[in-house]
Amino acid sequence: MSKLRLFIDKRLNLSPLLKEMAERRIPDHANPLKTPKAFIYCFGGISFLIILLQLLTGMFLMLYYVPSPDHAYASVTYIRNEVSLGALTQSLHRVGAGAAVLMVFLHMLRVYFSKSYANPRELNWIAGVLLLLIVLGFGFTGYLLPWDQKAYWATTVGVNIIETVPLIGPDIADILRGGSEVGALTLTRFFVIHVMFLPVLLLCLLAAHFFMVRRQGISRPL
Amino acid sequence: MPAPCIFNRRCLALCRHKCKNTTLSMVTAEEALRADKVDAYAPRREFMAKGIKAVIALFGLGLGIPLAIFSISPARKKHKTGEWIPVAELSALNDHRPTKITYAYLRKDGWMQVETRRMAFIIKNAAGGLTVLSNRCTHLGCGVDWDATANQFKCPCHGGIFDLSGKVLEGPPPKALLNFQAKVEDGKVFIMEAQA
Repeated sequence: MSKLRLFIDKRLNLSPLLKEMAERRIPDHANPLKTPKAFIYCFGGISFLIILLQLLTGMFLMLYYVPSPDHAYASVTYIRNEVSLGALTQSLHRVGAGAAVLMVFLHMLRVYFSKSYANPRELNWIAGVLLLLIVLGFGFTGYLLPWDQKAYWATTVGVNIIETVPLIGPDIADILRGGSEVGALTLTRFFVIHVMFLPVLLLCLLAAHFFMVRRQGISRPL
Repeated sequence: MPAPCIFNRRCLALCRHKCKNTTLSMVTAEEALRADKVDAYAPRREFMAKGIKAVIALFGLGLGIPLAIFSISPARKKHKTGEWIPVAELSALNDHRPTKITYAYLRKDGWMQVETRRMAFIIKNAAGGLTVLSNRCTHLGCGVDWDATANQFKCPCHGGIFDLSGKVLEGPPPKALLNFQAKVEDGKVFIMEAQA
């Protein structure tokens, strides 16, 4: 291990970078070991861990899932009933989705009540709000993918809500559905948004979010 | 009587109680830092780094092993054989050359039932027995065909050649054509996709 590390270090000199990353002073008011109530400062990190879990389980679920009206429901049933640990993996992804929304929301509450959004951290607050919207987008698009009754009607209702937006609502709804009804095109669209568009957006914004946290440090206590 | 040190010898100045093996007993971490004598937090930092690595490893294995099982699952399922499939009338078989037959059966393909079509050759022996040869070349799985002029099975892909009994005559195939089980009932020929 140390030999490999030496080999890489001689060429890339990564140690100072890693040291810089690992040796970050956490102020006492944000350190749960010093101030027990500071556990609320962990919500962001927990959100990130859940997002990692979602990426991982999602990737593996794609080994079996097929986004087509003919196969979507059957392939999910196959995952749950016949693939080893399929029910576990699918449940992790489904429960993780709820947990991600919950933790991101709690994280936002912490930032709000500790006034961490204030100058000079406004930009990071904006990135955070966008991330919350992306996580909600993941939830909305992922909910359709099992292609059962609940998924179908939830999406029908959800897109009809979007349709009520003045002026642009009906057009947005048609673009989302790929037509006037929830169907095959909706399923493939939601699938691709769920597994390609949103993950790329999410990872870019997360990078920006973390960069800004590091650059600006943790906000002072109230 | 102070409690025993949980870090054992490694704690050095960290523990605030007397530790047998430390030269800095009774010196607190803060005092040591102030005196700038040692990096008093080094042992703790090392311990925490190891702890973090252990937790990461635990999570990694806890997720990695189930996900690995999840992904190799279909490969562990055995292909089911052992059904008698009616393929031809006994009277319809050729006398001195192989008869090419096509048969189909339902196979479970993931969440689907699909019809799998296969081909085989039935050869009547002099004694009246039947030999069924799979048309799958044993080299890389192409379909071999009967060459009536040469009296041989020939594979179009890489030049594998087999004789009437399925033995390799030429080319890259490592072994003879698969020999399936056959039976005759009421003048009908049945085969099973299992080595005879």
